[in-house]
Amino acid sequence: MVGIGLDKEEPWRLPVIFPVFAVLLSLVGLADSVYLTVNHYTGAPVPCDLVSGCEKVLSSDYSVISGIPISAMGAISYLLAFSLATFAFNQNRLAWRLFSLLALVMAGFSLWLIYLQAFVLGAFCQFCLVSAGSSILLFLTALISATHKKLTSN
Amino acid sequence: MANKKTKENSSKGPIVAILVVVILTFVGIWWLNESRSATPRATVNQRTSVDPRIAVPNPALLRATQGAVPANFLGSETAPVVIEEFADYQCGACANVAPILKEINSMYGNRIKFVFRNFPLASFDKSYDAAVAAEAAGLQDRNKFWEMQNQIFKNQRIWAGSAAYKTLFEDYAKLIGLDVERFKADVAGISAKSRVDADLQRARDSGITSTPTVFINNVAIPYEQLNVAGLQSLINAELERFSPGPK
Repeated sequence: MVGIGLDKEEPWRLPVIFPVFAVLLSLVGLADSVYLTVNHYTGAPVPCDLVSGCEKVLSSDYSVISGIPISAMGAISYLLAFSLATFAFNQNRLAWRLFSLLALVMAGFSLWLIYLQAFVLGAFCQFCLVSAGSSILLFLTALISATHKKLTSN
Repeated sequence: MANKKTKENSSKGPIVAILVVVILTFVGIWWLNESRSATPRATVNQRTSVDPRIAVPNPALLRATQGAVPANFLGSETAPVVIEEFADYQCGACANVAPILKEINSMYGNRIKFVFRNFPLASFDKSYDAAVAAEAAGLQDRNKFWEMQNQIFKNQRIWAGSAAYKTLFEDYAKLIGLDVERFKADVAGISAKSRVDADLQRARDSGITSTPTVFINNVAIPYEQLNVAGLQSLINAELERFSPGPK
């Protein structure tokens, strides 16, 4: 499991750079998801300057689960990730463990969404890719923090 | 004592930070919502385009079941340019495109044939009922289908957010001069639903996964080109292609 990597007798110390990264990435993901959610409900077209097929992705059957837009779920996840990362600043080990677990789930879900865009829909949405990138980087932050602890304790 | 105070402050810090971000998120939602309402909704960029000379008709659409018969269409049945739209009444992008297509229809009249196909997506909870309501209106008078469609798209944000949306559809029916009792019976009946299902089957056969999907003479048009200028250039090219005379 990521985020666990210390001997019991040693005090747990998380270098501040990890929660800093986590907080910044969560804020990027949160802003992106909120933007997509508002656009979903207002029906405003999403700028599509870097890739093509944004509307195809955002109006597809996969963009909503049980009536809830995926972007709204993303916004809640990023807010939760931000909250947990903020608590980790105070060396709250449980918060960082939960953050790592959440980051793992979010990154997995993002990979599935990238797969859908690439192989099922054949179209990409740049804002969805930003969100996926943030999730994957959040997971990498958690992963590196775990391996960093292992490396420094060896 | 000082230590205790520092500890209290450091435990309050995350909560304050989270509250600030939550408040900023709500401010952001409000601001985005306001700016969306202030800007015209039907502005799309024109980065990508289809060159009608090289565009290839969608083979799945050519093989697909024919959809509701008779189809909901405007213009001339024998027009050389056929525009076929697959749309969902609850999809925001479809509501954006509706006035654009209306303008195109009034511009070209009988020089084109515009066909509307119902494609209620499973991801929206009221789409199917909205499609049935429009078809039920059309059962009384074909022209009333378009009037009902206009009401449904125009008021999308109202009924889509209301639990009493079926009552709102009845209000629209009354507003456009339908026999409301017959409308209710048609909504509950099989005929309107069969028409929606037939269109839905055509959409599925064609491999369409999103809305609005618009075809001009069986060639899919990118969403980015669904604006008056973009459609005009494609339609004009098609009209020119089919016009008699020296090439």
